[in-house]
Amino acid sequence: MARPEAKLKELKPAELKRDIGARRDLVVTLNRRSESRLIAYGDDFLFEKLPAGTRVIYPPPPLDAIPDPDVAIRYALLHPENADPLFAQLNPNMRVTIAIDDISLPLPPMQRPDIRERLLNSVLQTLADYGVDDVHLIIATSLHRRMTEAEIRRMVGERAFRAFWPERLYNFDAENRAELAMLGKTDHGEEVWLSKRAAESDLVVYLNINLVPMDGGHKSVAVGLAPYQSLRYHHNAATLRDSHSYMDPTRSALHRVADRMGRVVNRNVNVFTLETAVNNRMYGGLLDFLHKNEDRFSDWDRTRLKGFKWTLRNLSDDLRRQVLHRYAAPYGMTGVWAGETEAVHKKALERVFQQYAVPVTGQADILIVGVPYISPYNVNSIMNPILVQCTGLGYLFNMYRNKPLLRAGGTMIICHPLRDEFHPEHHPSYIEFFHRCLAETTEGAVLEKNFEAEFARNPTYIHMYRYGHAYHGVHPFYMWYWGEPARQHVGRVIDAGCEDPAVAARLGWDAADSLDEAIAMATSDLGRSASITYLHLPPLVIADVE
Amino acid sequence: MSVQQRSHSRKSPPVIRGAAFYDLDGTLTDLNLLHAALFFVTNLAQWGGRLNYLLGLIGRLPRIAMAELRDRHLLNVTMFESFKGISRDRLELLGEEYCDRSLMPRLYPQAIEMIERNRQVGLEPVLVSGSPDFVVGPLARRLNIASFGANRLLYFRNLATGRLREPVMAGHEKTAWCADYAAERGIELSACWGYADSHYDLPFLTALGHPVAVNPDRRLEASARSRQWPIVRFSRAALNHNQDEEVPA
Repeated sequence: MARPEAKLKELKPAELKRDIGARRDLVVTLNRRSESRLIAYGDDFLFEKLPAGTRVIYPPPPLDAIPDPDVAIRYALLHPENADPLFAQLNPNMRVTIAIDDISLPLPPMQRPDIRERLLNSVLQTLADYGVDDVHLIIATSLHRRMTEAEIRRMVGERAFRAFWPERLYNFDAENRAELAMLGKTDHGEEVWLSKRAAESDLVVYLNINLVPMDGGHKSVAVGLAPYQSLRYHHNAATLRDSHSYMDPTRSALHRVADRMGRVVNRNVNVFTLETAVNNRMYGGLLDFLHKNEDRFSDWDRTRLKGFKWTLRNLSDDLRRQVLHRYAAPYGMTGVWAGETEAVHKKALERVFQQYAVPVTGQADILIVGVPYISPYNVNSIMNPILVQCTGLGYLFNMYRNKPLLRAGGTMIICHPLRDEFHPEHHPSYIEFFHRCLAETTEGAVLEKNFEAEFARNPTYIHMYRYGHAYHGVHPFYMWYWGEPARQHVGRVIDAGCEDPAVAARLGWDAADSLDEAIAMATSDLGRSASITYLHLPPLVIADVE
Repeated sequence: MSVQQRSHSRKSPPVIRGAAFYDLDGTLTDLNLLHAALFFVTNLAQWGGRLNYLLGLIGRLPRIAMAELRDRHLLNVTMFESFKGISRDRLELLGEEYCDRSLMPRLYPQAIEMIERNRQVGLEPVLVSGSPDFVVGPLARRLNIASFGANRLLYFRNLATGRLREPVMAGHEKTAWCADYAAERGIELSACWGYADSHYDLPFLTALGHPVAVNPDRRLEASARSRQWPIVRFSRAALNHNQDEEVPA
């Protein structure tokens, strides 16, 4: 049934912000008169008419940001959850390690000052006030690429950078065996490895940003400062396949294993966690129309959309990518909590769900998602086909609680040009993974058995990870495993707007020239009465499927 | 074929599953053939001899520069003319000395680490270089590398003639040498890795399953990017925190 669009106008923003239940009207059913919809499409956006009856799920509006974040941070440090205040834990002779979330969060990178800069300045000031000077700052990259000097400077701010770089501010190196320590095993026999500096510190302070509910908690220290020896216990095909969904930590095997390992860390190391939540203000200024319901576009919105698309269309590929990656999001901090990891994370999760959750009734036969130009693993880089797969099947499919938005055996339509294009310095092992491993099989478990160890130990990839800015050799496998639950659940994946069908075939997908063709292909299988849902991104939304 | 072999003294050698071919000049070290030639002619026994050879080398520099621009094969031929008349035993002695005094201290630590890590995963290291065998041989021994391919001078009555024996290790001959080497050992070239720095090594790199551009020159870097090959940078500076404390497993 078509729903009158006028209903949206009756909604009060305040209600939308406070009450998840009031957000039912963010689920819009299109009719024949409905406007075309904006769909992320790599370095571009599609503006496509969707069939009447298509259900569109919109993200909730941004929560109000805390007006004075620095005061809120100081308050959190003085009033922690299940822990003594930071100052009460300090003495001048102690060794302190501050670990910081890396460039994979938030997306796109936020406008300066970054939340981490604010957190860091408050924590460093407290440490200085109490005479603690044996302090190291470690970017918790785990197996991600090393951040460049400029990226670190931008993230931590001038003050911390000048005082600590490079001797006491550096990227974690998961392949420097002299700098790793094993803390013990979980009751399931999982080996817990950690940065030696952190393991030998009297206090580890972790500075986190929760963009989505899968971030934070024990994933911070136990994953961010851990090497392959630890990550293999949760980043594997079987564990990820048993996660329903990644965005629901209570039903995610990934989080269960990470929590077990994190508890071992916390038994051995004094961890003081600082978690923050951000609002949904991903695009502001001239681009704020990207957040809007297209039926409510003003003339000014349409003009900006045309100008935006014209600009993107007329830039070269490299320049377009650079322009998009230079964009900084005007995120606002909606909460900050400090103290014991689990207590802090519980509070942060509540706020994150408050921002993103939208109640949705029933599953769809066909789910449409647009994969944008950015993912956690290609900041200032290229969105290669493995990352498109990870974003589409890994993250966007998992934007649900309770039940998937797509019914079992349904068709997922992913909008992305899907080019055979990789960044050779950031993603060298992805290239071999794509051309060699995926040519043999797309089965996660088989890939893990036949190739994972070889890539994890590959000296060239290890070198590029340690001394260059490459993701670890094993990283493309993890990206592939992220798609495991979706691959088990989805009947068919169609890439809409695919420029290179051979790439889609390599991923095990079908290719369609356009979204219309993709929908026609899907409905030819599932029947013309098949229900269609479009998950409208950006910004982000998590469907509470009833 | 310039293949030298000797037995390893390693306790439990890993299963050989391929080979890793390393170019030398510009790849494992920032030295090149001109440095070696200068070292040799300035360390000959007689002062008069040194002066003659040095002047001879200087006189050849324009030809060497032209050859470098045109063809690596020609460069090798031109460069090796500088050694004409030097005795074999003197060249071998100076080769050992050059290796100890110049080459070893100038090897990139990260290159040595790469060789060792590759060896641990079953990639047998092989040096393939346009440098002379009396330089590459001592280096291979010091790096515990059993096999190498290098240029060899032709001798007459124990004196260097200044001419090279076939094959001259450059361009396609280098590729053919690697293919013969792999075939003799029953190794697939597609399972082999190759590390080189110059666009003259493109034929060599393209023949292997896993080419890697190391500190590439402009033309090789462009080729590597378009072919999506890994590009690595070796340097003597420790880039990471506590990098020098790394202990390979």
